[in-house]
Amino acid sequence: MIDCNYICILHLKVEEDFATHHQDGRNLDQQCEDRTVLRYVYYYLARNLSDTGSQGLNPGGGIPTPNWDALADIDAVGGVTRADVVPRIVDRLTSESLNDDVEFHARRLQALKALTYAPSSSSDILSKLYEIVFTILDKVADAPQKRKKGVFGAKGGDKEYIIRSNLQYAALSALRRLPLDPGNPALLHRAVQGVSFADPVAVRHSLEIISELATIDAYAVAMSLGKLAETGGALQDVLHLHDVLARVALARLCHAISRARALDERPDIKSRFNSLLYQLLLDPSERVCFEAIFCVLGKSDNAERTEERAAGWYRLTREILKLPEAPLIKGPNPESKDAVPPKATKEKTRRPQPLIKLVMRRLESSFRSFSRPVLHAAARVVQEMGRSRAAAFAVGLQDIDEGVHVNAFSENNDSLDPDPNENPLADGNRKVSSIANGAGGRDTIASLLASLMEVVRTTIACECVYVRAMVIKALIWMQSPDESLDELKSIIASELSDPAWPATLLNDILLTLHARFKATPDMAVTLLEIARIFATKVPGKIDADVLQLLWKVWFLGENANYAASEYAWESATPPGTALMMLDADKMVAAAGSRNPTLAGALTRLQRCAFSGSWEVRIIAAQALTTMAIRSGEPYRLQIYEFLHALEQGGVQSQFSDMHISNGEDQGASGTGLGALISPMIKVLDEMYSAQDELIKETRNHDNAKKEWTDEELKKLYETHERLLDLVSLFCYVPRAKYLPLGPTSSKLIDIYRTRHNITASTGMSDPAVATGISDLIYETAKVTPAEPDDLDDDLVNAWAANLGDDGLWGSNAPAMNRVNEFLAGAGTDAPDVEENMISRPSMSYDDMWAKTLLETAEVEEDEVRSSGSSSPDSIGSVETSISSHFGGMNYPSLFSSKPSQPTVCNLIHRHFTPCLYKYSLGIREEPPPYSSPALQRFESFENPLAGPGSRSSESQDEERTSLGNPQSGTALYDFTAGGDDELNLTSGEDVEIEYEVDGWLYVKKKRPGRDGKMAGLVPVLYVSQS
Amino acid sequence: MLLAVLIANSEGNILVERFNGVPAEERLHWRSFLVKLGAENLKGVKNEELLVACHKSVYIVYTVLGDVSVYVVGKDEYDELALAEAIFVITSAVKDVCGKPPTERLFLDKYGKICLCLDEIVWKGLLENTDRDRIKRLVRLKPPTEF
Repeated sequence: MIDCNYICILHLKVEEDFATHHQDGRNLDQQCEDRTVLRYVYYYLARNLSDTGSQGLNPGGGIPTPNWDALADIDAVGGVTRADVVPRIVDRLTSESLNDDVEFHARRLQALKALTYAPSSSSDILSKLYEIVFTILDKVADAPQKRKKGVFGAKGGDKEYIIRSNLQYAALSALRRLPLDPGNPALLHRAVQGVSFADPVAVRHSLEIISELATIDAYAVAMSLGKLAETGGALQDVLHLHDVLARVALARLCHAISRARALDERPDIKSRFNSLLYQLLLDPSERVCFEAIFCVLGKSDNAERTEERAAGWYRLTREILKLPEAPLIKGPNPESKDAVPPKATKEKTRRPQPLIKLVMRRLESSFRSFSRPVLHAAARVVQEMGRSRAAAFAVGLQDIDEGVHVNAFSENNDSLDPDPNENPLADGNRKVSSIANGAGGRDTIASLLASLMEVVRTTIACECVYVRAMVIKALIWMQSPDESLDELKSIIASELSDPAWPATLLNDILLTLHARFKATPDMAVTLLEIARIFATKVPGKIDADVLQLLWKVWFLGENANYAASEYAWESATPPGTALMMLDADKMVAAAGSRNPTLAGALTRLQRCAFSGSWEVRIIAAQALTTMAIRSGEPYRLQIYEFLHALEQGGVQSQFSDMHISNGEDQGASGTGLGALISPMIKVLDEMYSAQDELIKETRNHDNAKKEWTDEELKKLYETHERLLDLVSLFCYVPRAKYLPLGPTSSKLIDIYRTRHNITASTGMSDPAVATGISDLIYETAKVTPAEPDDLDDDLVNAWAANLGDDGLWGSNAPAMNRVNEFLAGAGTDAPDVEENMISRPSMSYDDMWAKTLLETAEVEEDEVRSSGSSSPDSIGSVETSISSHFGGMNYPSLFSSKPSQPTVCNLIHRHFTPCLYKYSLGIREEPPPYSSPALQRFESFENPLAGPGSRSSESQDEERTSLGNPQSGTALYDFTAGGDDELNLTSGEDVEIEYEVDGWLYVKKKRPGRDGKMAGLVPVLYVSQS
Repeated sequence: MLLAVLIANSEGNILVERFNGVPAEERLHWRSFLVKLGAENLKGVKNEELLVACHKSVYIVYTVLGDVSVYVVGKDEYDELALAEAIFVITSAVKDVCGKPPTERLFLDKYGKICLCLDEIVWKGLLENTDRDRIKRLVRLKPPTEF
């Protein structure tokens, strides 16, 4: 460790001084003429004052300070405690820092400095400090400043002037260490004066103070700065100030002022600061240039706003740096030790330059640096660019045509004198008129980005793993949804083979994937694939909780219903066919059939709600509620029971059967979710009690053979709407279709609606639903996440984040396969939750379900009946009822195949792939505006049925339903039959469509094909229906 | 905020540390994290070649100078580049005091001076003086600008 002897000697020496100091302070200056020793004394006093818990000898070294309290106990220095020492030191230093004596000048500065170490918790000392600082500034700040540019810190000048400058420095440095006091008008005044001070460090501190104040009150700051910001003003001088951090503070200040809403009616001021900010992009220091880029991009330390980010990308790609008359680079910049001066010469930089070009050029040269911090920082800048770009795409800035020539902007806008403060969101459709410009640049934003990304990719060869991690994050953010991810995937895959990667870094990248996913939901599938690479390549290093949290629990909860094609509202169809669907048998069939995907998802989520970290538990509970709301019976009931038990904490006893079958102890209570779950349970309670009420009413009406009166219907309808509102707070449901009161309510509600001319779609005005699935499912365009602020119900608070998440739901359609893969045990298995999910739930679920039915036998008669058919023997009848009533619904049955793992996976796959097509079928029943984008969307996705292997020979079991009269159609693509009942197609061939089932068309050819077959099944998307 | 400056010898024993705004209970973690980082990466690194690491939004820049290794940790405006600036000031101050890249012995010989320099460079978690001459003057209890 440290050389203790030396420390002891030093300690004694200093302590001797200190003792003298204490006994007779006045003697201090006489006895300790040795400046060096005195300097130690100030150091020592400062350490004594500082309240960092580092009193006494500590392993961290430094000159040790006595632990006064301990010493007092043993009466080593006369029984002085720390409480005695501190005030004495403060008094002494206070009087020294107010000593005007020129001879005392240097010590005065040190005394003031030492004083700032006094604990800021003491308001007495604080106010004393403010007083001292402002007293000094009152004396020295108001004198006219005569800064000599370029000779800061050099010797010379008259004595009085230098003393004043030193005091200015000391006072501002001390002020910077004090807590910011925005209420004090003198603070802003003095800080603004400080910008013109001669001492560069003083200028830095004043700029830092001002930039902090500007985030609080930009208007006042801008007004006080006034002339300083003009051309030739003090702020312009800072551009050439030899102090990197001062220029960084300037960038922040400019950013705060040029984006301030409070200055909206002063565009002149804003543009002045904006132009200063853009000039900082040319700064020789990377630190300053990158800070300026961050500012342009709209990155801020607090509250990230998508709009601000999007506007940032717009600024970067559209705006021009126009230099003021004064030459920008003047005089040597001595501190460019690793800085790369901008390549442009004076002549060149005078020409207006598009920001994007400047930035790209700068970044490319930074990536050629050998300094790792520079590489790391440059990659970080690219990452931030990616974030802003993603935000711009997310908010749908209409003008982001990256194929436009960059110089086109410069030449157009040059003459227009662009107003940098315009809100690009407001006039995002501003057209760039002349895109074709002959002589100028050939550069497009896309080409600039491409060449930058090329350089970024080569940086992956850096030997520093942290730089590589940052590069990967940058690549993830810069990836466009429409580009191939293969390169990124292969980069990541090869990186992960390197054992040097620390686990924290990998988890960090996973979180980046998640953030990217949230920013661009379209990329769900590909990002998920990347996450899977992590889980398969480095399972040991990935925090199981992180993975589960991000990619399984949340994802599963959101998509399970889709994957399982199990929706509470599926039985309700558009008016017209509704009557047919009201058949009670259908409910029985739905309840009685087994849906292994959903059951598997349920079991897993239930397990997650028990085990894992609190984040996982919370998300699991939320996911379960989502599923409870979206699923029909008996799943809802099952989840309800589970949540109820979870809330009570008595899970062990309630689900003892399940526990036995799982063979493991899942802990009894104490999940800590009670408070969170109760609102969910309340909603489900309301739904169930309303359903009970409805059943009772229906029975009464039936018995009495009475019609429903308008009053009763109104009440029913209001309940329906209220429940819809409640449910919408938790997750998205299609309002027009969702029946919180059960399918029997549909008829009555329809009656009421028809009578009172209420269209079912009025619910679309509901903010939660307006952005909800009903829209999203059918939309290919940009998904706008819900604004959680739109809802002000108490419940929303807990769920606000989720509403935003739910907005992504609709875009995850192709992710369905992933859900199946998860459930089938592929890929992302985190160690402790993943077990053979498929085989187990079929057993435990049965037990559990039977149990829940027994316990709540009175809830729904329909279900009691259905429980009778849940034994394997009666499956046949259930299947029949499905086939006769359910048409395309295709409920897969676990019992139709052996429960061995591969077969089950296969089965699930086979059963769920058609769901996609069922969706496209359903979509076509919707109003026209939605249908075509939906189809396009499906075409753009990887087509799971494209290969012949995706359909097995078991397909003859499938039910077929005719949709109506034969239609004619034309084959769009070649199709190779994958089974006996499928038909080979050649593109262009004319066919007659007999009927449609589950995304398949049964078609007849005009003449037999080469294989001699005339008719068979082909995927819907392979045939254009005329 | 410049969260920490830490100087350790080649065996990973800490010679000097300054924490700012790091709770006492977290310091131990930082110490061991930094020392481990150095042990894993600083072998064969040239004097003053800068290495970088980050942990969430906290940045770390470290290097080796003679027998000692220097680590600086920062966040917010003290990102990797600002830290590179800070570590450059620190290493040049140490070199100035010691006259060359120090051996551990030399470093301890000049221990007091180095502490004073550090005191002038980092003041309550903020980088203060970066100019070499200015630091020299302040350490000798002279005003920053001489008259």
